[in-house]
This record gives sequence, structure tokens and C-alpha cells, in this order.
Amino acid sequence: MRDAGHFDARPGFDPDDGDPVLSEIGDDYDMPTDVDASFRTLRRVAAGHFLVFLGVVVAVPVLTLTVDWWSAGRLIGGMSPSFVMAAFGLYLFFFALSAAAATLSNAVEERMLGEQEREPAEHHGDPA
Amino acid sequence: MSTATVVALAVLLLGLAGLALVTRPRGASTLEFYLAGRQVGVVTNACAICGDYFSAASFLGVAAAVYASGLDGIWYATGFAAGFVPVLLFVAAPLRRFGEFSIPDFLGRRLDSDRVRLISVTVVQLIILSYLVPQAVGSGITWELLVGQGIAGLTPYATGVVVSTVAITALVVLGGMRGTTWTQAVQFLLLLSAFVWLAVVVLASGFSYPDAVADLTAEPLANPTQVDGEWRLEADASRLDPDHSSYFGQPGGRYGPLGQLTLIVTLVMGTAGLPHIMNRYFTSPTGTAARMTTVWVLGFAGVFYALAVLLGTAARSLISKAVPEQPWLAELTVDGVLRVPEHAPLVLGRIFGGEAGLGFVAIGALIAVLSTIAGLLLASAASWGHDVYERHINPRATQQQAVRAGRVAVVVVAVLSAGFALGLRPDSLTALFPSIVATMVTWAFALAGSALAPVFILAIWWRGITAHGAGAGMITGAVTAIGMFAAGTTIGDRGAGELLLTPTIIAAPLAVAVTVVVSLRTRPPADLDRLWLKLHGTAADRRAVRLARLTIAGVAEKGGKR
Amino acid sequence: MSQGSLPLAGAVTLGWGIVYLVTQVLPDPPLGVGPTVLVGLGLTLVLTIGYPSALRGPRKARQSSRQARRQAGRQSGRQGRTIAAVGRSMPLRSGLTTEAARRTIALLQPLLGGDSVAITDRERVLAFAGPGSDHHTVGDPLQTESAARVLGRGKTSVVRNKKKLGCPHPECPLHSAVITPLAIDKRVVGTLKVYRLDEIPPPRDLVEGVAGILSLHLELSELDRERKLRVDAKLDALRAQINPHFLFNTLNTIASKARTDPEEARRLLLRLSDFFRYAVRQDRHLVEFGQEYFFVRTYLSLEQARYGDRLRVRYDVDPQVLTAHVPVLTIQPLVENAVKHGLADKVDGGTVRLKARVDPLTRTTSIRVSDDGVGIAPAVLERLASGETTENGGVGLSNISQRLEALYGERYRLDIHAPDGGGTVVDLHIPVG
Repeated sequence: MRDAGHFDARPGFDPDDGDPVLSEIGDDYDMPTDVDASFRTLRRVAAGHFLVFLGVVVAVPVLTLTVDWWSAGRLIGGMSPSFVMAAFGLYLFFFALSAAAATLSNAVEERMLGEQEREPAEHHGDPA
Repeated sequence: MSTATVVALAVLLLGLAGLALVTRPRGASTLEFYLAGRQVGVVTNACAICGDYFSAASFLGVAAAVYASGLDGIWYATGFAAGFVPVLLFVAAPLRRFGEFSIPDFLGRRLDSDRVRLISVTVVQLIILSYLVPQAVGSGITWELLVGQGIAGLTPYATGVVVSTVAITALVVLGGMRGTTWTQAVQFLLLLSAFVWLAVVVLASGFSYPDAVADLTAEPLANPTQVDGEWRLEADASRLDPDHSSYFGQPGGRYGPLGQLTLIVTLVMGTAGLPHIMNRYFTSPTGTAARMTTVWVLGFAGVFYALAVLLGTAARSLISKAVPEQPWLAELTVDGVLRVPEHAPLVLGRIFGGEAGLGFVAIGALIAVLSTIAGLLLASAASWGHDVYERHINPRATQQQAVRAGRVAVVVVAVLSAGFALGLRPDSLTALFPSIVATMVTWAFALAGSALAPVFILAIWWRGITAHGAGAGMITGAVTAIGMFAAGTTIGDRGAGELLLTPTIIAAPLAVAVTVVVSLRTRPPADLDRLWLKLHGTAADRRAVRLARLTIAGVAEKGGKR
Repeated sequence: MSQGSLPLAGAVTLGWGIVYLVTQVLPDPPLGVGPTVLVGLGLTLVLTIGYPSALRGPRKARQSSRQARRQAGRQSGRQGRTIAAVGRSMPLRSGLTTEAARRTIALLQPLLGGDSVAITDRERVLAFAGPGSDHHTVGDPLQTESAARVLGRGKTSVVRNKKKLGCPHPECPLHSAVITPLAIDKRVVGTLKVYRLDEIPPPRDLVEGVAGILSLHLELSELDRERKLRVDAKLDALRAQINPHFLFNTLNTIASKARTDPEEARRLLLRLSDFFRYAVRQDRHLVEFGQEYFFVRTYLSLEQARYGDRLRVRYDVDPQVLTAHVPVLTIQPLVENAVKHGLADKVDGGTVRLKARVDPLTRTTSIRVSDDGVGIAPAVLERLASGETTENGGVGLSNISQRLEALYGERYRLDIHAPDGGGTVVDLHIPVG
């Protein structure tokens, strides 16, 4: 039963566990360098998504001014592409973009801060 | 109008007051009063944020804007929804992790400066006030249509303003934030259900969205205007091409070439600086939860605004057809077009649901107003009570005293906004600005996006920002925005006026530039690393999650052992 | 990203521009919207798919350019180099035989802190040295029950008194012992026993550590080439941990912080245990970059505690790279080299940079470890190129390059540069796995 899990609050410990006292305290701290790194990566994520967002949002008025088909064409019934985009398309886009950005940011934080090894090690460390 | 709707309204208000009393925090600690102990679920919090956010401007204003100007009106809804994308990308998680009470508190701690705190308190109060006034106006308009008569010698409009202000002030003063988190969420669900109901009955009646757009676009857009005391329909010239008239399904009904861009930038940047929305983020349990909350908010907002646009279109198409059968419409319309576009969803409710339908939608509108006012008042109370009173006026205040100071602030701000709303005559302004409520709300967005959001985002993502830089940036943004806006009101919303009335596209970059230049010449706070750990580290989040898991495991184990 | 995606974005934009020109501006009347969009999309598709292979170039041409570069590197002596292989010798590498056991014991007996040392396989004693060798003779069947228990359970056993030791000989001088299993991939093949004449058993951690190393050597004797190299790296990492310089320095740091900043000391201790745990648990070829990154920052935070302000670290990590797979235990050694050879000797310290990128189009993961330290002397670079092993027990570059070659064949690049501005830059390019 190596590493039966650091949530296990048994008193006393099996010496094979290394140091359960330490692992139960957990990793509730961050190193400044690590935080700086994840901050930089998150800033890239945010800036990248923001550029995409800005590009799409600004593209709508720009297309309105430059491409006739955008406001005169018919996509669904009487709706022009511009109308469809403003009435539904952009909301879907915002939602998809924000879901993607949130998932990516959470994944980045999970991998770049805190302990990596514990979860997989719990499965791996138990030969029985 | 009918006594039934008045009774329904009274029951609703009593119900909300009851809910606020029941969920009232037991020990009135400052923290609980303002932040409900931070244990608020992601979806609940998302609903509460929506309740705060979807104000009269969203509920009546968006449909009204679509009703009055078609495609260009939709742009409002787009901007309101889009505002949460930068919030998610730049603000949500770090703001929560830093874990202060309010925006001024955040900036004050982050930059280690009381001066910054006070400047931002001023800006925050200005934003709150300019957001409160259109809400009060919206409730006045709704009362006018719903009840139609004043109480105690007031005009119907004034009665609406006074009643809503008094009711919601009482609610906030009694309930505090916990009361409002739950009531906010419930209120949002109520107003969403009002829209869903309306959309369902409209679609069930055989309304075809694409065909309606096609029909409406076939003829030029014409709206009622008062010429020599007579109402009549005037075809609007397209703002993109003054020689032609504008059409419902095509751009040009509302904005010239510049207008669309400046409006969207103003709305997009504004949300990140709205104090009552940002304060909600402090109630999320972790930064990650704050992020996911925003995703939910964007989902809700998409549904809500898509429905609002649909209803605006439906109103334009159906109301004119209904005029022959519904005699009561005659006094509200000119040749089948509503004089006050804000009435659109309400009238639609009456056409399809009779008095009860009108009551339902009107209640939705009032709820939208009330919940937003509640959020705003609370944000105002937080920044007065916490940032000014506890820190500067009476540093040794007991918690009771601080809470009392917050309550006094709530009353003062509410009275102030009601006063402004009473001073404004909406129908005198509608001639200049169609769909007055939505337009007025953009003022608050412009101020928030110009003065607060740039400094706020820089404070989160740039290590080099200093107190002097932030102060200068906020002042520059606010002064530029207000100045441009004042100039804009004299010109009107044509040509350069489009830019002046939505000044963020100029003011925000200016604020950023000033902040950066001044910051580079001064020294950032000393213990930046410690601040950064708090702002961008996830240690506290992980601890919270671990604790939650341990608690759950403990509960499960006890259950298992019996 | 920049090396691959930007040109493609340019090419796509240009493509659309040409499509617009040809279909909308030049012809009269212009082509309809539908066909134009189709043509444009088709062109975009062709460009996007064809681009990576165009970037890679014809295989043969690339080969020769590689060689050319290599030769250029030789000439200047400071350019990119691919590192050749080295061997390593250890008695047990040839398997668990009597001869190997005897030689191993001769090597280990002074190190283990016990009086007698024995190695057994599952049935009999293979070698014994020290007091008690009169009746514990080579070839004897296993007598003690504690040994049987260790063989059965595969776990270390600490015996503190003579009775429990269970030696049938009445005059046996041995009192206490630590008995650890020797295992190949969890299969127990024998034991390492360390005895003492008094009641205090030998240091358990040390014995286990050595047994771990011996087990790995045994494992090596059975494994195929790639696995061999990976275990080699693990071995190196373990050795680096037992390496007194790193361990003692870190422990010293922790001890000194224990008084001034107990919280910090506690964190360092945690990090140290994280560091120890990581290497031992890796039994896969490839891991997520995020895990390797964890190992690197664990290592660097320990070194930072030791060097203080002299060691500055800057990570620059692409979000996409975190889930890309990289060979296990490759990045930390590069970083360790940068700290040890680049910055440790520099008085005012310096900055170690780790930059990781993924190019989704060429499907390449690029990792760059650079420092602004003293740089590599040309002689050392020469030695690295000729494949001599590095001292101090760090995982040698040679090992890394061999493993990369086993995993990726010709599809990787490992270059060392010494830029003119000083310092060292190690570039690693591998396919996204």
C-alpha cells in the first residue's frame, strides 16, 4: 500500500511512504518563479484569444462597409449574413471562445502550478 | 391599468422582501453583508451576475433598439454580451484570487496607495450613478405603461421612479449581499422565463423569424417623430448613405461608418469596469470557479440577447398588424409604430397574453431594473462603507458601524439617482436619442471602459504599473470620457457625435498611454513578488479545493460507517 | 510558432488576395460569391496541408544540409553538435552471477555502513563479505527466515535483534540487519543484506538506495536498447540525487532556513521530496511536457534556494506545449548542466531560460535551454562531441542524444551553441508525439 493517498488521515505511518507528514501538509504554496511563468503563459493565452475576439468583432462592421454581399445577400429567409451573425452567430462565437479560453487557462494553471505528480502516482504507486 | 397586475406586482415585491429577510445574514459582519461568505455555486453566481447585469437596458432597451432601428439595434446586444469576453480573459480569475472587497480595494492594495483607492472610489461612484439613473428612468417608463396613474399627486412616471427606488433600497438595506445573491439569481431566472414565454407564444402563433426580417426589410424604416406638435412617421435616412433610406435588415439605421465600431469598443471595454459586476466575482469560491462562472454568464447572455433580438423583430412585425384588432394600441402608436420603442416587449406581452401577459412582462422589466439597482446600490455601499468609511473616516469602526455606514450610503445614492431620473424627461430626449434607456447605459459603460478598465487590466497584467501611473490614467480616462461626452451631447449623435458619445475608443488608449508613461517614471510597489503570488498563484485555490474534498470525503466516510 | 505559422498566414493571405484579384477585379462580370469562396477555401486547404512538407523539404536535401551544418560546426568548433555514445561499466550489468555479486560486494561493502554484506538470489547466497563469513558461505541455501519474508513480499525488512535474524548458527556474531529485495521490474530476483554486529541496524535509506541502483543494473542486463538507455537516465538521476553535492547543499540550505524562515524550509523539504519521487516513478518512454516541467521547476526552486539572487530563472512556455509528449528525464539534465557549468562559477550569477514551443503545422516541439553564464570552453565542447562522459553524475548529453535517436531516429535535433554574447544555448527539436 505505498502511497495510499495523501488524503488518508491515518495516524502514524508506514516508513515505506517516505514522509507522509509532509505530503499531507500538501503543496499550498507557489514559488515566485513558477507564478511568473504561468502568468506569462496565461497572458499569452488571454492576448491570443483577445486578438481573435477583436478580429471577429471588428470584422463585422468592416465587412459591412466593404463587402456588399455581407449586408445584401440572403442566407436564411430574409436574413443577410450580417443579420445572422449579429442575431446568433456572434453569441455562439463568444461562448465557444470563452469556453475554449477558460478550459485552456485552467489546464495551464493546473500544469504549471502546484504538484504534478500526486494524482498519477497514486494509481501507479499501489502494486496490489 | 388593471388591479390584477398591481396585486401581482405587490405580491412579487413582498415575496422578494420576504426572501431577503429569510436569507438575511445572522451575524451582521461586514464580510457577510457584502460578500455572502464566498460559498456561492458557479451557476448560482452566474445567474446572480446575469441578474445584476441584465438591466432595463437589456430587457427593454435591446428589444427597443432592434424595434427602432433593426440590424444596427442588435449591435447593442452584441456589445453587452461581448463585454464578458475580456472579463473572462483578463479579469475574472486574478480578481477573485487577489480577494479584496471591491475594485477600489483591489487597486488600493495592488498599488499600495490610498490615493489610488480614493480616485477609484470617485470613479466607481460616478459609474454607479450614471448606471442607476437609466434604471430609474426604465422603471418610470414601465410604471407609466403598466399602471398608468400616479400616487399621491405624482405623475405616473415619477411614481414608478420613487416606488422602485424605495422598494429596492429597503431590500438591500435589510438583506445585504447574501440576500441579494439568491434573490439576484431567482430574479434572473424570472426575467429569462418572461422572455422565453414571450418567444414561445410568439413563435407558436406562426411567426416566422426569417420571413419577418425579409418583410420588414422590403420597405424603408420609418419611425414616429413629433413635427409641430403632430406625431407622424418619418422615414429614416441611412446613416451610411444619406441619399437612401434605411432598412430593417440592413446596416445604417442607427450608426454611420464610425458609430458601430465606437459603440462596440465602448461596450466591450465597459463591462470589465462595472463595479457591481466585478464585486460578484469576489463571491466565487476560487479563481477557477470565477472563470467558469463567466463562461456560464456568456452562455446565458447569448440565449437572453438572441431572444431579445427575436422579440424586437417580432414586435416590429406583429404590432402594426395587430393595431386594427387591438383598439388600445391606437394611443401608443403612430400608423402602427410605437412612439416609445421601450414599450415593445410590454405591448407584445399584452397582445399575446392579455392583461396577465402584460403583467408578466412588466414584472420581468421591473425585476430587471430592481435587481440591477440592488447590485449597484450594494457596490456603492461596499465602496463607501468599506473603502471610505472604514479606512478614512473612522478607521476604528466596529463592524456594526461599517455596515450602518454602508446602509446610509445606499439610501443617499438611491435618493440621488431618483432625483436625477425625476429631473430627466424621457420623452423630451427620445427625439434626440431613440431607445433612451440603452443609450444612457452606454454612458456608464463609457466611463467604466475609459477610466477603470484600462488601469484595472494593466494592474493585473503588467508588473510595472505604479500608483502614480494608475491615478493619472484613471483621471485622464474619466476626464477625457466626460469631456468628449459633454461635447457630444451638444452635437447630437451624427458624424463626429458618434465618436464623442462613445468615447472609449479614444479615451481608453489615452488612459493606457498616460498610465504607462507615468508608471515608467515612477517606482512600482516594493513587494511585487508577494502580490503576484496572490494575484496569479493558485495556492489558495488548491487549498480551498483540497479542503472541500477533505470535507466531502469526511462526510462520505461518516455516512459509510453509519 | 513564429518559425512556421507566420509564413503560412502570409501565404494564405496572399492566396486570397490573388483569388480576389483574379475572380472579382479582372474579369467582367466578376465570379459569383459561392464559387469564389470555394476556390479560396480550396487554395487555403492545399496551402495548409502542403506547407509542412514544403517546410521539411525533400528528405535527401535535408540530410545533406544537416551534414553540412555538422561539418561547419566541426570547423568552427563552437557550433551545433550531435553527441556520440559512451558506455558505462558496472559488474552487475552482466546479470546476477556469483562473480558479479562478489565484485559488487567488494565495491559496496565500505559504503553501506554495515559490518557484513551479502547478495543472494532466490535460493542461495551468491556472495558474502565481513564477519560471519565462516558459516555464511557462498552457495549455501538461504537460512534466515527474514530473507524468505523479503523474497516473498518484495519489501525491505529491518531486523533489530539476533533471534529475529534467525541464523541457525549459535555463535553467529551478527545482530541486526537491513534486507532489501533486488528486483527486475517488480519481480524479486534476490536480496541485498547488510548486517551489523550491534543492535543498531544499518541506515535503511542508504541500503535501499543502493539496492535500487543494483536492481536497475540488473534490469539493464535484461532490457532492449531503448529501455536500457531510459533506465540509464533514471539511474543517472538517482545517482544525481545521491550525489553529495546537490543533496548536501540543499539540505544545508534547508537547515539554515529552518531557523530564519521555517515556512520556507518546509516548502523546500516538500520540493525535495517531490524531486526524489519523480525520477523513481518514471517507467514510460514519453511523458507530458507538463510533468517534465514540474520536475524542472522543482529542481530549479531548490537550486534557487541555494544560490539565492545569483540564480535567476525565466520560463517561457507555450500553452500548447504543456500537453505535448517529450522523452522522460531529458529537460532537467539540460537545465542542470546550465546551472552547474554555466552559472555556478559565475560570481554575479545569471539567468537560466527555458523556452518551449510547439509548431502545430510542422508538428515539432522545440525546447531551448539557455544561460548567460561562463559558456562552454571549446575544449569541453570538443570532449562532449567526442562522447566522453560528464563528471558530477549529471545525466550526460550523450545519454539524451542516444535515447532521442532510439525514439525518433533521424527526426530530432539536439544542438549546442555558444553564442557570441557568452553563455550556452541548447536547442532540442523533436516531433510532437
